[in-house]
Amino acid sequence: MQEKLLEIRDISKYYPGVTALKGVSFDIRRGSVHCIVGENGAGKSTLIKILTGAERRSEGTIRFNGREFNPHGTRDAMRSGMSVLFQELNVVNQLTVQDNLSLGKEKRKLGFFKRDPELIGNIYEVLRSLDPSISLTQMVEDLSVAQKQVIEIAKAIASDSNVIIMDEPTAAISDEEVNRLFQIIRKLKTRDVTVVYISHRLSEIFEIGDYVTVLRDGRMIDTKAIADFAGYCKDDAPSASSSMDAACDELIRMMLGKVVAERYIPSDVDRGAKVLELRSVSNGKLKDVSFALYKGEILGFYGLVGSGKTEIAKAIYGIDGREGEVLVGGKLAAIANPADAIGEGIAMVPEERRSEGLFTNLTIRENIPMMNLRTISKNGVFSRKRERLLARRYIEKVRIVARDEDQRVSELSGGNQQKVVLSKCLNAESDIILMDEPTRGIDVGAKEEIHNLIRELAKNGKSVIVFTSELPEVLNLCDRIILLYDGKIMRTLENGRNIDHGSVMRVVTGAGV
Amino acid sequence: MHTEAGVVREAKTHKVNAQILILVGVLLVIMITSTILKPRFLSYTNFMNVLTQISMIVLVGSAGTLLMVSGNFDLSVGMVLSLTGVMHAFMSKNGVPTNASIVLAVLIGATFGLMNGLMVVKLKIPSVIASLGSMYIARGFAFIVAWVDGGANVVTGLPLNFEFFGRAMVGGAVPLYILIFIAIILVCYFVFSQTNLSKCAFAIGSNRRAAVLSGIRVEKTIVMLYLFVGSLAGLAGVAVASRVGSGAPNVGTGFEFDVIVAMVLGGTSIYGGEASFLGMIVGALIVGFVGNMLNLQDVQFFYQIVVKGLILIAAVLFTRKIQERLLGR
Repeated sequence: MQEKLLEIRDISKYYPGVTALKGVSFDIRRGSVHCIVGENGAGKSTLIKILTGAERRSEGTIRFNGREFNPHGTRDAMRSGMSVLFQELNVVNQLTVQDNLSLGKEKRKLGFFKRDPELIGNIYEVLRSLDPSISLTQMVEDLSVAQKQVIEIAKAIASDSNVIIMDEPTAAISDEEVNRLFQIIRKLKTRDVTVVYISHRLSEIFEIGDYVTVLRDGRMIDTKAIADFAGYCKDDAPSASSSMDAACDELIRMMLGKVVAERYIPSDVDRGAKVLELRSVSNGKLKDVSFALYKGEILGFYGLVGSGKTEIAKAIYGIDGREGEVLVGGKLAAIANPADAIGEGIAMVPEERRSEGLFTNLTIRENIPMMNLRTISKNGVFSRKRERLLARRYIEKVRIVARDEDQRVSELSGGNQQKVVLSKCLNAESDIILMDEPTRGIDVGAKEEIHNLIRELAKNGKSVIVFTSELPEVLNLCDRIILLYDGKIMRTLENGRNIDHGSVMRVVTGAGV
Repeated sequence: MHTEAGVVREAKTHKVNAQILILVGVLLVIMITSTILKPRFLSYTNFMNVLTQISMIVLVGSAGTLLMVSGNFDLSVGMVLSLTGVMHAFMSKNGVPTNASIVLAVLIGATFGLMNGLMVVKLKIPSVIASLGSMYIARGFAFIVAWVDGGANVVTGLPLNFEFFGRAMVGGAVPLYILIFIAIILVCYFVFSQTNLSKCAFAIGSNRRAAVLSGIRVEKTIVMLYLFVGSLAGLAGVAVASRVGSGAPNVGTGFEFDVIVAMVLGGTSIYGGEASFLGMIVGALIVGFVGNMLNLQDVQFFYQIVVKGLILIAAVLFTRKIQERLLGR
């Protein structure tokens, strides 16, 4: 067994009125990939913040390399060899790869910055060994998210980091890139670098992890070697036909304290009522997109990053320009901006919840009515009481976990933030709801809740379009599935029959039909 | 104390409450110091003098707070105030009935507001630059009009009723225009705390993209807010001219900063999305009384400007420090 690199003992963290972590203890071994899983709000983020010095712990001790570890801020933690790969990457898009690598590594001489040739040479070498396809003179904005991650990893290794914490590194990258990242993680292990890996995708944990620590409600439930699980967990597989594997069940049960087995339930679709129709819609990213949406239907768009999913949502919602016709309820609709779209009875849950969906420094109460202020006002004058009641109703209905309706949205966990976005959208009282990646970065439990909510919407006669890059999501949820590749509709599938995953993957990767 | 009760639940109200409380403390210290240094501070005449200045700041700040909440600035209010005052004097002098002239002057202010708003939303000019441009334009026009009139200020030949608006007293003690201002400020407070216009302003300032995607008419809202601010700056200009009995192109110099400082002291974020109306009022009182204290001490005007700057920076730093301590972070 490898030696202990990090010994975490009885860590607790109290915020005013909230216990984020309570008595968490476990060890992380040198050169291992140690996964941390848990629902949103289980305490993962808080734990990372404590490890990286962004927050002080309230109680407990951490030993790092055998020494007491009390970082004063993130820079201090980094100097001790603890690096983080955040979801929001710390690269400068307007600089070249080379300039990015040397950023912050300059030596200061007579008040001028001077490059440290040795250190920079070292970083280049690391980068080449990790991913030879990245050229030093490329602009960073031309790189993919995964390649940007590689740059950050290279910087971390070159500055002698022993530990790299990866927070949801695969949330925004394609399957192919995930594989490349995993190769890199394996290379890191051979360099004796320890990786702390946080992800909602359980299959990844079984693929790359050595150990897994499960957190629930701020407590450590268990820390286990992956090898000790009976079997294997694959969450990108199947829907109705096959059930999930024993290992997966076990892990989910540890996370949630219950088992989730989701499967496709056909909606009651009224094929006689076309609520929305696109006819030959094209723009820079879309090519001749035509389809119809029926009353009570959940329609899914599936494709890889860049296939045009988001672009279809944006074209319907009036964010991007387009040619071609959009018909709402059989009538030609002139939608030039989101306000027009809402006027036509179309609401959207945007892809990026923080930058597009939420007013993070406002409270839950203030966020929820924003798409439809008429629900709390009369003649432009709103009622605080109605606003409060409305918020309470949604908190209960959508099961938002919060102190109360006056809590700021920025203080909520990702899943609960997403539920606020959903509430805001539901309150628009639209008949057509577009949902762009409605469950991205959200744990299994909250995901199922959101899926059930979508099913309920369809049951009540609303029509929903889900745009997603997760195959299980379309397979579990949608009545029809439209496959996209390069801005074109490649194929439309009826769900509920046997769908061959291999052929779906071939279609969406453009490898033929 | 009140802070204890304020620890309650909502971090935001808590923060704003604490800040206002601190500001009231600072205000009391200033007032007590002034009284000790110069007992004349407490006289009716002195108070009326300060309140005049403060009422202008609060009036324009009443609309300005919502504009700043939306993440936009109006640097032109000082010079619009000068211009409308000069225009009011000029028009009254040249045969326009005083009442009509008041209305026209306010409309001039509104026009500048509209112009600022359209530059920001249609031409996509950053609000600081757009309003800085109109500040110069207003200032230039104010001087031109005074020059056409034949002097530095428009003073002579004004009709008898020109000063009525600024000097009429109600009950022998309270100026009429201050009562009118208070009424307007109350309306503004209602708009700030109870209307969808305010909700939209907060939404835009908090996250403009999310506001657009939520179907909020962002451009319309911003133009309306600028219009609102410009009109009130126009009204303030009329009041100043009428009270002083002349239209002076220099009278509004630095006024825009007094308004901004009052808002910032009061807890309105310059990045938008956060504001306190009551804080703005207390902030205006501080701005006014600091100036008055220095005046009474016969500090030379140029030094006053320096000291005012220093005190205001210190006040902002001080409130932030205390706030951090109160909130434990």
